[in-house]
Amino acid sequence: MGRGGKKGTVTPHEQNPSPRPKRESNTGKRRKMKRKKKKTDLEELKKEVVLEDHKLTLEELSAKYSVDLTMGLSPRRAQEILRQDGPNTLTPPPTTSKWFKFCKHLFSGFSILLWVGAILCFVAYGIQFHQKEEPTKDNLYLGIVLAVVVIITGCFSYYQEAKSSKIMESFRNMVPQQALVIRGGEKIQINVENVVVGDLVEVKGGDRIPADLRLISSQGCKVDNSSLTGESEPQTRSPEFTHENPLETHNICFFSTNCVEGTAQGIVIATGDSTVMGRIASLTSGLAVGKTPIAVEIEHFIHLITAVAIFFGVSFFGLSLILGYGWLESVIFLIGIIVANVPEGLLATVTVCLTLTAKRMAQKNCLVKNLEAVETLGSTSTICSDKTGTLTQNRMTVAHIWFDKTIYKADTSEEQTADLSGKTFAKGSATWFILARIAGLCNRADFKAHQETLPIAKRATTGDASESALLKFIEQTYSSVKEMREKNPKVAEIPFNSTNKYQMSIHLQDDSNQTHVLMMKGAPERILEFCSSYLLKGVEYPMDDEMRKDFQKAYMELGGLGERVLGFCFLNLPSTFSKGFKFNTDEINFPMDNLCFVGLVSMIDPPRAAVPDAVSKCRSAGIKVIMVTGDHPITAKAIAKGVGIISEGNETAEDMAAQLQVPISQINTREAKACVVHGSDLKDMTAEQLDEILKNHTEIVFARTSPQQKLIIVEGCQRLGAIVAVTGDGVNDSPALKKADIGIAMGITGSDVSKQAANMILLDDNFASIVTGVEEGRLIFDNLKKSIAYTLTSNIPEITPFLLFIIANIPLPLGTITILCIDLGTDMVPAISLAYESAESDIMKRAPRNPRSDNLVNHRLIGMAYGQIGMIQALAGFFTYFVILAENGFKPIDLLGIRLNWEDRFFNDLEDSYGQQWTYEQRKVLEFTCHTAFFVSIVIAQWADLIICKTRHNSVFHQGMKNKILIFGIMEETFLAAFLSYTPGMDTALRMYPLKLSWWFCATPYSILIFIYDEVRKLIIRRHPGGWLERETYY
Amino acid sequence: MTKKEKKSFNQSLAEWKLFIYNPTTGEFLGRTAKSWGLTVFPKPLTALEYSFTVSDPRSYQGYIEDLRKFLKPYDLEEQKNLTACPDGALFEQKGPVYGACQFPVALLQACSGVDDPEFGYSIGNPCVLVKMNRIIGLKPQGEPRIECISKSENTAALSTYPPNGLIDLKYFPYYGKKLHVSYLQPLVAVQVSFNATSSTVNEVTVECKIDGSPNLKNQDDRDKFLGRVVFKVTARA
Repeated sequence: MGRGGKKGTVTPHEQNPSPRPKRESNTGKRRKMKRKKKKTDLEELKKEVVLEDHKLTLEELSAKYSVDLTMGLSPRRAQEILRQDGPNTLTPPPTTSKWFKFCKHLFSGFSILLWVGAILCFVAYGIQFHQKEEPTKDNLYLGIVLAVVVIITGCFSYYQEAKSSKIMESFRNMVPQQALVIRGGEKIQINVENVVVGDLVEVKGGDRIPADLRLISSQGCKVDNSSLTGESEPQTRSPEFTHENPLETHNICFFSTNCVEGTAQGIVIATGDSTVMGRIASLTSGLAVGKTPIAVEIEHFIHLITAVAIFFGVSFFGLSLILGYGWLESVIFLIGIIVANVPEGLLATVTVCLTLTAKRMAQKNCLVKNLEAVETLGSTSTICSDKTGTLTQNRMTVAHIWFDKTIYKADTSEEQTADLSGKTFAKGSATWFILARIAGLCNRADFKAHQETLPIAKRATTGDASESALLKFIEQTYSSVKEMREKNPKVAEIPFNSTNKYQMSIHLQDDSNQTHVLMMKGAPERILEFCSSYLLKGVEYPMDDEMRKDFQKAYMELGGLGERVLGFCFLNLPSTFSKGFKFNTDEINFPMDNLCFVGLVSMIDPPRAAVPDAVSKCRSAGIKVIMVTGDHPITAKAIAKGVGIISEGNETAEDMAAQLQVPISQINTREAKACVVHGSDLKDMTAEQLDEILKNHTEIVFARTSPQQKLIIVEGCQRLGAIVAVTGDGVNDSPALKKADIGIAMGITGSDVSKQAANMILLDDNFASIVTGVEEGRLIFDNLKKSIAYTLTSNIPEITPFLLFIIANIPLPLGTITILCIDLGTDMVPAISLAYESAESDIMKRAPRNPRSDNLVNHRLIGMAYGQIGMIQALAGFFTYFVILAENGFKPIDLLGIRLNWEDRFFNDLEDSYGQQWTYEQRKVLEFTCHTAFFVSIVIAQWADLIICKTRHNSVFHQGMKNKILIFGIMEETFLAAFLSYTPGMDTALRMYPLKLSWWFCATPYSILIFIYDEVRKLIIRRHPGGWLERETYY
Repeated sequence: MTKKEKKSFNQSLAEWKLFIYNPTTGEFLGRTAKSWGLTVFPKPLTALEYSFTVSDPRSYQGYIEDLRKFLKPYDLEEQKNLTACPDGALFEQKGPVYGACQFPVALLQACSGVDDPEFGYSIGNPCVLVKMNRIIGLKPQGEPRIECISKSENTAALSTYPPNGLIDLKYFPYYGKKLHVSYLQPLVAVQVSFNATSSTVNEVTVECKIDGSPNLKNQDDRDKFLGRVVFKVTARA
C-alpha cells in the first residue's frame, strides 16, 4: 500500500513547504541529496493513506495476493514472503546510543561555552609555559576545573534523563502478541511478527489486529479504532465496501487496533512498517524536531555573554598593548578576560533548577522526558488537544433521558458517587419503570465477573460502549440488571445492525409466566416509525402530531448536544404467544408494529470534571486551546462547548447563519470567533487558508481530522510563531506530538508510540495537569531569570580586579581560586534557591511570553547585573582590598604601578608606605589575604543581591522571606566563606587566609546600598509603569 | 532575643574574636606571622649569585659601587645627629620625636670599606652585607644574631662582622618611615675567604639565618627569605 501512495491526488497543501528550506543550501552537496531523499519520503508519508484493496471484490483480492480464501497461504509460501518482507513489526525509532546521548549532554548549548573557556585556558597556559620557566598554573587549573564542571553537569543531566526514560521503559508492554492464521487449511497460533502479506487471519473479540486486514467474512465484528482515529466508539466491521476512504470503510481492519467483539476473517494486505499504523510511526520518527524554547534562549544568552566577553577582552587587549605590554602577555590577558566572563557555575545552576522543577512537575503528574521541556510548557501559547481521553473520560455515559415529554439530566461526573439520580428525574413515573426495563433487558452488554467490590462506574463490561453505558446507568439508578434478566428471560432477539438500525428482543413477563413482551431500542426515527402510541406517566395514548413534534424537538436538542440518542419502545404481545412459542426472527412470526413509544436516552463521552476549569485557566493565561479530534463535528463541538473551548456566547458561522436564517455564505466568517473545521474541508485548504483560520478565530475545533492533518495544523500554528503543545494518546497523534514544541502523551491510555514521540507524559491523563505544568514552566522561566541575574552579577567583581591589575598595575585583588570558590561554591546554593521562589503575581493571568521579544536574558538583565549591581559589588571588594593593604602598610596611592616589583620573586625588601620592608612571600600572603577578603566581600554583597533578585517588580517587603531554601542559601554561603577562610590548612591548600573580623564588615555598607538602590529602582518602576527606568532596567 | 541570651552571645563573640586574633601575642589563629626578611647587598643581577674575576676589576666594580652607595648613610659624618644608644637593650620611645641609633660603619670591620675600599673583592675575599627588613614594632627577644654557614664543605671560611653576627637590640623597635627619620637598619657583613687561593675557580654557597631569638622565625616552608637568606659566591682567579 505504500506503493499505492504515488497514485494519490496531490492537492497543494499536501506539498507542505519544507519548514527550513534555506538552511539546506548551506550543507554539502552529498548531504543535501541524502536529505532531499529523506524529505521526499517524509512528504510521501504526510499524504493521506491511499488504499485500493477495500474496493476489490473477494475474487480480485484472492488473485492479487494469490491466496486461497479458505485455505490461506501454504506454510512454505508464507515462509518465502516472510523472508522477502521481513517480520511484521514496526521498525523502532532509531535509538541513539547511550554514548551519543551522553555526548549530546556534554557538548550542547551551554557546555560549549565552558569548553571554549577551558580550551582558551589551556592555550594561555601553553603560551605561558613556553614563555616562562615557572608559569603560574592558574590557567591550567581553571581549564581543568571548567572541563570537570562540564563533565559533572553532563553526567548529572544525562542521569536525570536516563531516570525518566527508565520510567518510560516500564510502560512498555513486553508480552508477545499472538495471532491466529490459517495456512494450508490449518488454524495455527503464531507470533504476530511472523504474519505475512496474504495470510488468512482470524480475529475475535479481545484480540489485537495483527496486521492491516481486508475482511472476507465477519460475525458481529466490532473494532476499536480509537488509537488510530481517535474515535472512541467501536466500529462495525464487515466484508462490505462502504466508503471510499479506507479509514472509514467497513471492510478494513488496522494493525494494532483492537477487536472488541465478534469474529472476523481477513486477508493481510500490509504488515509492519507499510501498515497505516506503521506509516504513522515512520512519519513520526522521521520528523525533524526543532529546538526547545529554552535551548533557543540559552543560545541567545551565550551570544550575549560572548559578545560582552569579546568586547571586554578586545578592548583591554588593545589597552594593554597601548600600555606597553608585550604581544604574548596581552594575548594572555585577552584570554584571561574572556574566560573570566564565563559563568562557570551557571550551567550547573540551570540544570539543577530545571531538575527541581521536573521533580515538582512529576509529583503533579507531569513526567518530563527531557529537562529542557520543563520550561517549554510555560512558553506555550497554543495547546492542540485531542478530545477523547484527554478532555473526556473516554467512557460512554448516559447524559440525558427523555420521557413523559421531559428531558432529565443524568449524572455524568467521573466519580458518580453522589446519589443525585433520585432527585434529578422522576423515578416514580411508570414510564421510567418501563424505560429502565427495556434499557436493561434489550441490552447485550454485561459486567465482567468478579468486580462486585468496584463502584459501578468503574466496572469493566463486555459489549458496545452505548449498551455498557445503559447497563451501568440502569444498574445504578434502577436495580440489578442481572436479577431483572433472570426474572425476564430472553426468548428471541434481533441484534443491532447498520441496515435495521434497531435491536429487538422478546422476554417473558415476570408477573405472568405466560405472556411475552417485545422490547426494542434503536435510532429514534426508526423507533418512532414502529410506534402508534406513546406512554405518558404510565398511560398509553395514541400517537399524535403534538407528540411527534415534541419528539422531534427533544431529538434535535439532544442530538445538538453531540449526544448519541437511542429511542425505546415496547409491545405486550397478545397471550396467543404463550410460553414455549417459537419466535422466528428470520421469518418474523409475531407482530412488530403498533408499538408503544416510551422515551429517549442519550449518551456521551462526558468531559472530565476538571477540564472546564483548566481550559478557562488556560484562556486567562492567554493560551489558545484548539481541539483536534478524529471525532464527528457535532460531538466535538458539543464537548468543546462543554469544556469551554468554545466559550459560552460564542458562535460559529454556522450557528450565526442558523440563527439569522440566512445562508452561510452571507455570514462574514471573521465575525465568528469560534469555528469548527471539518477534516474534509481542511484537506482542500491551502496553507494560507489554514493560517487565515488560525489567525482569525480564537476558538477552533478541528473534527474528523486524519493524523497527517493534525501534523499540518501543528505546523500551521508554528508558522504563525506560536509555541505549540499537543496532547494526544493515540498512534494517530504521534506525528503531531513529535512535531509540537512539546508533545504531551497520556500515561494511562496513551499508546507506546505516542509516549515515545512525546516530551512529556501526563501520568493521570488529566488535561488539568497541563495547567500545573504551564504554571511551573512559567515560574521556572521567571526564576531562571532571577537566578541568572544573581549569578552574573558576581562576574563584575570577578573581572574588574584583573582589569585593574592590568591597567593600574596594582597587586591582583582577586585570584582564580577565589573566583572559582564564588562561582562553584558560595554562589551555587543561593542561585538554586531562587528556583524555589514563589511567583510575584498571578503568572496564570498574563499572556504567554513572546519568544521573539521576551528573552530569558536580555541586555537589560546584563545591564543591571553587570553595569549596576555588579559595579557596586566591585566597589565593595576594592574597598575591602584597599583597607587591608592600607592596614598592612600599603596606601592605595603607593600601590599604583607597584605590580612589577610586587611580582618579582627576588625583590625581598619591597618597601611599603611606612618604610617597612616585605619579602616576596610576605607580600604574597598579604595578597592572598586580600583575595580572601575580596571573596568574602563579594559573598556579603551577594546577600543583598540574592534578596533583591527575589523580585523583579515587587518590593521584597511585599514578597516576604518565605523561601526557606533561600535563607538556608545565605547561611550556607556565609558558613562556606568562613570555613574557607578559617580552616587551618587552607593557606597551603587554596591559599586562603584567615581574616580579621573587622574586614568582614567592610562590604556591609555596600550590601545595604545594593538593597536600597534596587528597592528604589523597583519602586520607581512600579510608580511609573512603562517609564524610562522600566524600559531600561526591567529584565 | 532576651537580654541574657544577648550577653552570652557577646561573650562567645569575644571568645571567638580572641581566637581569631590575639592582640597581646599578635597571633592569628595560633600562627605568629612576624619576622625579618633577610636580604643581601649588593644585589646581584642574576638571582643571588655573585660572580667575579679577581684579576678583572671591572667584573666587581658594580658590586663595590653599590656597597659604597649603600653604606653612604652609615658614614660617621652622616650619623653625627643620631643618638648613641645604650647597647643590649630595646630602644623604646614614646615620641613625639623619635631618635635613631647610630650604627658606626666601623662595626663592619674589614667590610666597612674604610680600610679596604674594594671590600675584599680585589683579594678574592668578597664582602656581602646581610640586612634585616624593617618591620614596624617588631621587638626581638633574646640575643638575635646572624649566623652564616658555608654549605659547600671546607672550600671557604666565613667571617661575620660585628663578631658573631650580633645584632644589637637597641635598633628596635622601628617606628616607621615618617616618625623614625634617618633610622639605620643594623647590618651584618659576611666575608668569604676561600681556602684554596690557588685554584682558578672558587665557589661557595652561604646560608645566613637569624638565631638566638625565640620570636623570630627562620624555618618557613614557603618563604625562603624569612629569617634566612642563601647566596652563592663564585670567584675566578
